Amino acid sequence: MVNTHVQIGELTLKNPVIAASGTFGFGREMQQWNNLSQIGGISSKGLTLNPRLGNDPTRVAETASGMLNSVGLQNPGLQAFIEHELPFMLGLGTTVIANIAGHSLEENVQMAMQLDQTAVHAIELNLSCPNVNKGCMAFGSSAHLIQEVVRAVRQSTTKPLWVKLTPNVTAISEMALAAESAGADAVCLINTLLGMAIDRRSRRPVLRNNTGGLSGPAVKPVALRMVWDVAKSVSIPVIGMGGIMTGEDALEFMIAGATAVQVGTANLVKPTACQDIINEMIMIATAEKITSFSQYTGTLKTW
Amino acid sequence: MTQIEFNCPVVNQHRLNDQFVILTLKSAAICDTAQPGQFVNLSCQEFLRRPFGIMAIDRATNEFQVGIQIKGKGTKQLAGLKIGDIVSILGPLGHGFDMTGARRIITVGGGTGVFPLYFVHQTAKELGIERIAICGYRSVEDAILRDEFKAIANRTVFASDTGGLDVIGHAGHALQIALEQLASNTIGSQPTLDQSTFILTCGPKIMMQKVAEMALANGLSCQVSLEEHMGCGIGICLVCVCKIKNHETAEINHQRCCVEGPVFAAEDVVW
Ligand SMILES: Cc1cc2nc3c(=O)[nH]c(=O)nc-3n(C[C@H](O)[C@H](O)[C@H](O)COP(=O)(O)OP(=O)(O)OC[C@H]3O[C@@H](n4cnc5c(N)ncnc54)[C@H](O)[C@@H]3O)c2cc1C
Ligand SMILES: Cc1cc2nc3c(=O)[nH]c(=O)nc-3n(C[C@H](O)[C@H](O)[C@H](O)COP(=O)(O)O)c2cc1C
Ligand code: FES
Repeated sequence: MVNTHVQIGELTLKNPVIAASGTFGFGREMQQWNNLSQIGGISSKGLTLNPRLGNDPTRVAETASGMLNSVGLQNPGLQAFIEHELPFMLGLGTTVIANIAGHSLEENVQMAMQLDQTAVHAIELNLSCPNVNKGCMAFGSSAHLIQEVVRAVRQSTTKPLWVKLTPNVTAISEMALAAESAGADAVCLINTLLGMAIDRRSRRPVLRNNTGGLSGPAVKPVALRMVWDVAKSVSIPVIGMGGIMTGEDALEFMIAGATAVQVGTANLVKPTACQDIINEMIMIATAEKITSFSQYTGTLKTW
Repeated sequence: MTQIEFNCPVVNQHRLNDQFVILTLKSAAICDTAQPGQFVNLSCQEFLRRPFGIMAIDRATNEFQVGIQIKGKGTKQLAGLKIGDIVSILGPLGHGFDMTGARRIITVGGGTGVFPLYFVHQTAKELGIERIAICGYRSVEDAILRDEFKAIANRTVFASDTGGLDVIGHAGHALQIALEQLASNTIGSQPTLDQSTFILTCGPKIMMQKVAEMALANGLSCQVSLEEHMGCGIGICLVCVCKIKNHETAEINHQRCCVEGPVFAAEDVVW
């Protein structure tokens, strides 16, 4: 038997596979395909204080081995989440993470304070959404701003605080260090890579928002490198993601230094992805006579 | 857990012409629950799945059909499938047409929109509802499924932008003529054109908008099947939204084409 549990700060996950924000809704639709009590956790769709309509469609463009999206944080607002979605999620028997993406420091603080009064298990502060004009990625690309917002949010909640980083920066480990020094319990990476798709005939961007965030297997090599970089620099746990489709992919992220992983785009094309990935990881670990998933973390033998 | 991903064998592949193919697939589970207007999400060799309206089902053989127009890479691969090939399919998905209370339906299809409307006729026939099919095509060469509609509908009107069929012009134009005739009771078996006549439409957005306006102007109930680019097809990614008006609050919301749609009440759609 493999011990599948992993530890993120004071929080124990039953296994290292978390459904990534924006690719799992609030879990409702996914019950049809998965026994949600068997996955490591669910990160909610990115939340803002007030409801958001998001961007106009078209919001998706297929790319080689992946996709661009420009959803733009469509969500029902924090209050509706707390009233209607969170109680349901907390009943699923898995770790529930609220992904928050305020457009200002104050909005993030206010959301953290409200979530602090709920039974949510952790807060994932999204400093990385590429699809909104204000805030978010703007915070995420300056170490100074990251420190400021993480410190403020840290002071407004005792919940485990994870900080989700954007890959659209030159030195992601500096951003991770800034989050760590301001009191983050973990860093999550990567969010989507800013990209573009063009329809040659109409000479128009495919996405109505012109640009969008790239995800899926196309980003995996970039994500692996960044997880490796960050894991070397910080001492808090790293939660890795970007293009994970299989159990093997997930274990590669752990070997690169991740304590847990998130699975995003894979859910879209294969609704059973999270469970399939966990099962495959268990099979591999069993075959390799590994007794605990945590034994994979940070075991990369670099040249 | 009711798992709705199926590996379905291709039992027939019928090429209508160089652009259109009808695939027949086998799945008891899909045939058991499919409603007209619902769609299936088929995997191909590209990254994302491809959505197609269900064109017909045969509960006796557990076979269902989708009509595919070859557009890009994915549809080309799907059109090239051979008998015996296995396709991973999610479905049936979405919210289809509602015919509760209908005594007569008029379907207005344009282009590939005629495919899912065939399933509407199949179901309406089973329910004993009078059926008028209006199909619009770019040209006679594109005028697919005419024999099938003739066999299943009580009356058909085929329109072509370039002539050669019943009506010259688009399907909306043909609808206008049909509505005028119905109002003066020259076609159809029922005396009046009232609320029990439902207009159900699927096709190019501009055509559906005209059809919706015409239906609503005549006081007829109208449902439209919208199309949006999809990521998941199952409601989790929010990329497929349509602008839908809530009449009570006058608010405009983004609703998912793949869950709340693809079929919406025409009066709610913000075009
Ligand atoms: C609910 C629904 C029902 C549909 N029913 C039918 C049908 O019965 N018959 C039929 O021939 N077509 C139907 N379509 C359109 C069909 O899904 C697209 O033509 C197909 O996805 C194009 O794929 P491609 O790889 O050939 O084209 P590409 O242009 O190479 O596709 C690139 C990407 O854009 C997406 N895309 C391109 N065109 C469309 C489109 N019109 N709608 C949605 N996504 C698109 C593709 O899914 C893919 O992700 C339907 C679409 C929807 C949303
Ligand atoms: C459709 C879509 C919506 C997303 N929405 C969010 C979001 O609301 N908040 C967030 O932090 N990340 C969001 N992401 C990013 C993912 O959580 C993840 O970081 C990224 O897609 C990389 O992982 P993947 O390749 O496994 O998808 C979204 C991704 C996709 C594809
Ligand atoms: S396609 Fe993902 S929500 Fe509709």
